[in-house]
Amino acid sequence: MATTPRSGGAAGSGAAQRPNGTSQNKSCQFKLVLLGESAVGKSSLVLRFVKGQFHEYQESTIGAAFLTQTICIEDTVVKFEIWDTAGQERYHSLAPMYYRGAQAAIVVYDIQNQDSFQRAKTWVKELHKQASPNIVIALAGNKADLSNIRVVEFDEAKQYAEENGLLFMETSAKTGMNVNDIFLAIAKKLPKNDGANNQGTSIRPNGNETNRPTNNCCK
Amino acid sequence: MMTDGDQQEALIKRAEDEREDIFRRYDLGLDPNNVVDPWENPKFEIYHITDKYGFMHDSRLPNTRDSQEVQRNKIELERDKKWMKMLSHWPPAPEKLHKRVYKGIPDKVRWSVWKLLLNVDQAMATHKGVYTRMLQLAKKYSTETRQIDADVNRQFRDNLAYRERYSVKQCSLFNVLNAYSIYNSELGYCQGMACVAGVLLLYMHEEEAFWALNALITDKKYGMHGLFIEGFPKLTRFIDHHDRILSKIMRKLHKHFTKHNVDALLYAIKWFFVVFVERVPFSLSLRVWDIFLLDGDRVILSMAITILYLHKDELLRLKDMDAIIEYLQVKLHKNFGYNDDDAVQALERVMKKLKDLKLDQPPPAKSNEFPTRTLGDFVEADFEKKIGRRRNDYTDTEKQVITDVIIRQEQNAGDVQSTMSYETSECATVTLTVPEDTHSLRSSLAGTSVASSETMSLEDNNIHLKTANMLQNTPQRELLGT
Repeated sequence: MATTPRSGGAAGSGAAQRPNGTSQNKSCQFKLVLLGESAVGKSSLVLRFVKGQFHEYQESTIGAAFLTQTICIEDTVVKFEIWDTAGQERYHSLAPMYYRGAQAAIVVYDIQNQDSFQRAKTWVKELHKQASPNIVIALAGNKADLSNIRVVEFDEAKQYAEENGLLFMETSAKTGMNVNDIFLAIAKKLPKNDGANNQGTSIRPNGNETNRPTNNCCK
Repeated sequence: MMTDGDQQEALIKRAEDEREDIFRRYDLGLDPNNVVDPWENPKFEIYHITDKYGFMHDSRLPNTRDSQEVQRNKIELERDKKWMKMLSHWPPAPEKLHKRVYKGIPDKVRWSVWKLLLNVDQAMATHKGVYTRMLQLAKKYSTETRQIDADVNRQFRDNLAYRERYSVKQCSLFNVLNAYSIYNSELGYCQGMACVAGVLLLYMHEEEAFWALNALITDKKYGMHGLFIEGFPKLTRFIDHHDRILSKIMRKLHKHFTKHNVDALLYAIKWFFVVFVERVPFSLSLRVWDIFLLDGDRVILSMAITILYLHKDELLRLKDMDAIIEYLQVKLHKNFGYNDDDAVQALERVMKKLKDLKLDQPPPAKSNEFPTRTLGDFVEADFEKKIGRRRNDYTDTEKQVITDVIIRQEQNAGDVQSTMSYETSECATVTLTVPEDTHSLRSSLAGTSVASSETMSLEDNNIHLKTANMLQNTPQRELLGT
């Protein structure tokens, strides 16, 4: 199947494509950033998604961490470049460095913590104002394994997400619930074939050489 | 009086009870009501997986010490004696202290020596009662308690001292950070400080750790205030200087990083904020701390360069941003590839080189890197801060940081373009001259011939180090062969 490499997007041009369909799979690469208050489980979500692990005492993130994960949807190989940020307010001013040029964001809150939900809303507002206009935003109500002591109601968050055009899921990094699903949902919503998303700034002109897609992602 | 018959009956009863009890426990199985003696659980394995610093590892430590460790212990015992003697005649001659600190402060005397280097006892004597007062104020007024609690709950949980929730050390860490957020109200609490205070508390008592932390934060020699304060002015200053050094003496690696979007901000924040803890093996980070406490913040810049220098061949082989970041953030923590002594020797050489090249000192600090309020003066937090609400707008400082960061990104993106064209043309030349980094090192130093040859000698030494270390258990003599 002939495909068009993405152009312009932060990491989009890294979607190395063999020209004229020598490869069966389309492939694209997306920059995704995790935002949210401290200790809501951002790093844990990433760790679960990327390594399938969960650490009860995940160390606090200083600055930011970077990981990648590749998934397959239908005939497309999607590589996520994931930026996991520090949650403390003090580090807020570094956040634009990570969300600039991002094609997707997961804004995380803790369902036991009302403040973290409010904080998630301000992150969404900031993304709408400052990030790429086409950015796909997902809202994740994390620690869903503790739903018996929840404070943020599912319906309240769902309604907020709908009003603001966000994907929404309650997740649990601890049990793995909805973790892959939320990344998958984002991947599905991201445009795979258009070169229009050119808001990115960290351009990789040499993508063809460095970002060869893995051929066996559906192993 | 108990008859024989009574006694027998009692014994039988006891045995029955015992059996019943054993059965009951098996019936309960994994039920949480089933009280299990700690020794019965595999977690008692901790004594086999815990290293001398209290950190637990995934696998059992070897039963016997290898010859190198035996040798190291022997040396450390000798050093203990020397240090004890030196401590009784403090302060020693600077050269002697320098030499000994670079060899590593023996763990047994680290408590005393760190306190001396940070003037802890003196600070405590001149500020009697201050810590207690700060802690009391913190109980009533600290606005950082929630964040501190969240961080204490995950700081060094793989260390015995912090393993158990609300253990003595966890409580001390919580207290020190809360009290400090009141004492230095302008700074409050910044993530990263828990790690710094957490290391200090492994060696010190609560109040000592408080004053040691204060020395690291406010003393010009260490100046961590500028790292942790809103806007991170010192971080930016140090990162810029780090880039400057890279671009001058490790041009190839610098270009490689630029090409793969590896901005120094991505890997160096944690290096600088917690002085390499959790980014290199703990024993090595202690050695770096020893030197940092002696020689101050320029050690941080030198260590950053040393890490990249020792690993540059490997880093140049990695062709992906994620592989490079993973290498620097995860792999080096698990296995540094060099033993601590070799790494510190390399650090010392790098420090000397940077000094020779006049690159050891970054531009001077601006006033915003130091506290402007009087330390210990209580300032009540404003309403927003009290309720932990985010301000709607960025402060001017934050806006400045954002602008700087964005300029930096765009600059780097621009550099990628020029790097590309440069590298294409460089290819032809490289094949005709010395391969790999030697070439770029030499060319980058063209014009300073003395410096150039010295850098080369640093390179030569490292070749030996590297061969020896690629195989972890290489006998000592290979190292001595240089």
